[in-house]
Amino acid sequence: MIRIEGLSKSFGKVEAIRNVSFSAADQRITALLGPNGAGKSTTLRILSTVITADSGTASVGGCDIASEPMAVRGEIGVLPHATGLYERLTARENIRYYGELHGLKGTSLRDRVEQLIQDLEIEAFADRRVKGFSQGQRIKVALARALVHDPGHLILDEPTNGLDVMATRALRELILKLRDEGRCILFSSHVMQEVANLCEDVVVIGGGQVRFQGTLDELIASTGHNNLEDAFVTSLGDSAHE
Amino acid sequence: MSKLLTVLFKECRDNVRDRRTIISSFSLAIGGPALFIAMMSFVLNTAVGKSDDPVNIAVVGAQYAPGLVAFLESENTELLYLDVADPKAEVEADRHDLILTISADYPERFRSGKINSVALTYDSSELGSVRRQFAQAREMIGRYARTLGMLRLQIRGIDPAVMAPVMVQEIDTASPAARALSLLATLPYLLVLVVFMGGFYLAIDSTAGEREHGSLEPLLCQPISRRELVLGKLLATSVFSAVSVALFLASLAIAIPFAPLHRIGMSLEITLATCVKIFLISIPLMLFGAALLTVVASFAKSYKEAQTYLTLVILVPTLPLIVTQLMNVEASAVLMSVPSLSQSLLINDLISSAPIDPVYVVVSAICTSLAAALLAWLATYLYSRERILI
Repeated sequence: MIRIEGLSKSFGKVEAIRNVSFSAADQRITALLGPNGAGKSTTLRILSTVITADSGTASVGGCDIASEPMAVRGEIGVLPHATGLYERLTARENIRYYGELHGLKGTSLRDRVEQLIQDLEIEAFADRRVKGFSQGQRIKVALARALVHDPGHLILDEPTNGLDVMATRALRELILKLRDEGRCILFSSHVMQEVANLCEDVVVIGGGQVRFQGTLDELIASTGHNNLEDAFVTSLGDSAHE
Repeated sequence: MSKLLTVLFKECRDNVRDRRTIISSFSLAIGGPALFIAMMSFVLNTAVGKSDDPVNIAVVGAQYAPGLVAFLESENTELLYLDVADPKAEVEADRHDLILTISADYPERFRSGKINSVALTYDSSELGSVRRQFAQAREMIGRYARTLGMLRLQIRGIDPAVMAPVMVQEIDTASPAARALSLLATLPYLLVLVVFMGGFYLAIDSTAGEREHGSLEPLLCQPISRRELVLGKLLATSVFSAVSVALFLASLAIAIPFAPLHRIGMSLEITLATCVKIFLISIPLMLFGAALLTVVASFAKSYKEAQTYLTLVILVPTLPLIVTQLMNVEASAVLMSVPSLSQSLLINDLISSAPIDPVYVVVSAICTSLAAALLAWLATYLYSRERILI
């Protein structure tokens, strides 16, 4: 469970987000939907404790991001939109590195890494260096790395960027499987089709503020449109033209 | 603590696999001593050659000036008699370095007491001993001409002193040994450079490189404190710096015997004990260098930007060395508080087997370590700011 209440953050004079509140439930996929520069990344960065909010609170799995950042880091797995893998390390070494940073060691580390390599179908390239991997292979390894400590929450920042159709489908299936395991998945995107195919809950964010929170159906119903794109634009209101 | 080691091992493993890092980190350490010895041999050979080596002169038309040729033969020369039409072409074709040409009208002019000219052909752009040989040959011929002139004056009943109202006497106090020693004094300077070059690329890769590749943000989401993270990176940089110094010392120990120091009656031996001492004295400098490089590279967002900054930073620790070398400063407790300068002064003493005050060693180690700790703290501070991601 991710709960956000009244988060605000400014960078200098630029107000990135203002009074953002929403929640994402366990065993559901929640989309954070918004145009570029809407404040999606800022919100996710605050949640993953790499930057701190000016005001407001947030908790991940019951741990407060401000007072227990280390506990929060243990509760979430983050898949950044640039996968941020180390090119000269092998897939296995990349996953192991984060495992060690999470305090895993010895056989439990080895077993966990092996299991992820099997679950995400990385075996074929697990011991090759990342340099030269396709975007689809990179996403799989980055996802395995984000899952190495078996977190209850997963933050995916535009994960389908640069993926071809087959890789997107494979990733979608993986995300559904992770949800079925009971994880809370927060998924940022600006691709409607992606959201329509995968997510149950939607948070629309525009101009640094939350414009809508509810299920997909509710979003479509509340705006009176029958396609998601129109509903999205309508829900953004004035902020769409900023 | 174990997470610090995790970061340390990862950075080392990651960078060992990078050819660019390896070349940049260790090429100076391995190749530097060879280059240094080559320079030293060159200086010693050209300087020492002055007193012993005979002057090689190829003579064209020797039969026209038997007196001059006999005089030259009595000097420290090796004459080669030639019969070529164009001495210039011979020198240009590199067949001879120095050719003395005596023209056919020499005997006639000699007998009638007219001014005679002989030609010395050589290539002044040639490195090595050619210019020295030319100068010596000119000096010999000049001496012959003066002796001849004096004799002619005496025959005419004139005091030869009339011809030379003022005589210049040259006294050069620089011995070849002194020149070689001043070269030796650049060795600590080279060592300081090796310390910094060793950590140069790793410092960039683990900071600006990590930002450029987008791997910093997910890394900062991991449950490791910024201090452990930064110290791990910093120590990895120090490890590369240490390996670089070790390679440098090994390479130096191998190269030193090839320097022809025996020609100036000097012996220089870099023993294992000296190597170990130099290494130990350099350890605080490695930490200082790693921290300095890490701090500066942390401001850069890309490899290129970091490279630009660090190239300038590398010059900083070498500045005090250049200044003191120009001013010929003696070691003192105050100077021992300056990182890089204190190490180079101590190493200088170690190489020339001068006695070393243990107090100096302690002051140097403490001051440099404190400076390193301060910079490490600064690096941690930089990493705990949000700006590092933006």
